[in-house]
Amino acid sequence: MSSFTKSAQQWATFARSWYLIDARMQPPGKIATMCAIRLQGKHKPIYHALSDVGDHVVVMNSRHIAFSGNKWEQKMYSSHTQYPGGFKQVTATQLHLKDPKAIVKLAVYGMLPRNLSRRTMMQRLHLFPEDDLPEDILLNLTEELPQPREIPRRLNEYSQEEREAFPTLWTP
Amino acid sequence: MAARCVLGSIWTSLSGVKSVASSSNMSVFQSITNYPQLSVFGIIQSRGIRQVVEKKEGKTTIIEGLTQDTPTGPQPPNPTAQCPIYRWNLQNKYNYTDVLLLSQFIRSDGGMLPRRVTGLCAQEHRKIAICVQMAHRAGLLPDHKPPLPEGHVPKKPKPQLNRYLTRWSIDSVKPIYRAGLKWCKNRISVGHPALRNNVQYGKKILYLKH
Repeated sequence: MSSFTKSAQQWATFARSWYLIDARMQPPGKIATMCAIRLQGKHKPIYHALSDVGDHVVVMNSRHIAFSGNKWEQKMYSSHTQYPGGFKQVTATQLHLKDPKAIVKLAVYGMLPRNLSRRTMMQRLHLFPEDDLPEDILLNLTEELPQPREIPRRLNEYSQEEREAFPTLWTP
Repeated sequence: MAARCVLGSIWTSLSGVKSVASSSNMSVFQSITNYPQLSVFGIIQSRGIRQVVEKKEGKTTIIEGLTQDTPTGPQPPNPTAQCPIYRWNLQNKYNYTDVLLLSQFIRSDGGMLPRRVTGLCAQEHRKIAICVQMAHRAGLLPDHKPPLPEGHVPKKPKPQLNRYLTRWSIDSVKPIYRAGLKWCKNRISVGHPALRNNVQYGKKILYLKH
């Protein structure tokens, strides 16, 4: 914009922003894609893989993510301790109960490019199981991103007028 | 439609003993009726929500179902169809999130009402049952839980995990230990194939295997 000084525009273009995502009732995969895009810097027109233009992303309420289907029981996370007989497989439920941040962390890790800058990008990802964020991170936040999935309303969240306005399909 | 017995003044002709025997069942239901206990000749068919009223006159107990005057709501756009879903043209348009629709076909403890009562056709009854199951598993019907026996203490606290579009029951599913390679992956099923023909209002296709 012509009204800004050149230095101010330069600063606004190359500054590293802090984004906030609320993962309550959201599928962790969709949260992870949003995080991965912003950690790499692919949402910026000045993107270049070597330029380190990624932003910080803060994910809160990672304890309250929602998996579609029966993924809590069927999805397995595997690891190997590198000792013989050290192959471990854990279901998503067990992993989530052990560490509520692990599922989102592994999802984002798998979506970042497999190069050396992946570790620095993961350092810029901040995960919190609940919505109590520390003071210094709250001061840094610039934008909250919209949630990818529309949360359906429970039956008791509908008001009496809405319930009456809905026509009865059949009479006994 | 199935023949319905109307609980009207016909019941007053029955002896006090018979009505007392059935009154223990009927006192549970206050507003919804038509569970015919005895076959009565001279069946009159009528529709409407009835209020069960008990009157005691000396030794005889009279149980009456008085038809309540419900205000006539909006008329269905296709009144000549048999199934209520087809009457309102909602064939492929509902999902597990439409709780206001699904709650009209369930009992207070979460079970489905029988098809001969609601008048649904077989396919739609099955689809509604599937959507009700998915809504229960997603926690969208918190007030329609079955009543637990008194003094029931759960042995292990179950993990409160959010889920949606769950096809299979939680305890029945086994983990996928060997998922396979990308070209032959053992996919996780999401949603239900009965809802395959649902209208998609965006450009996204409905994925049933994730």
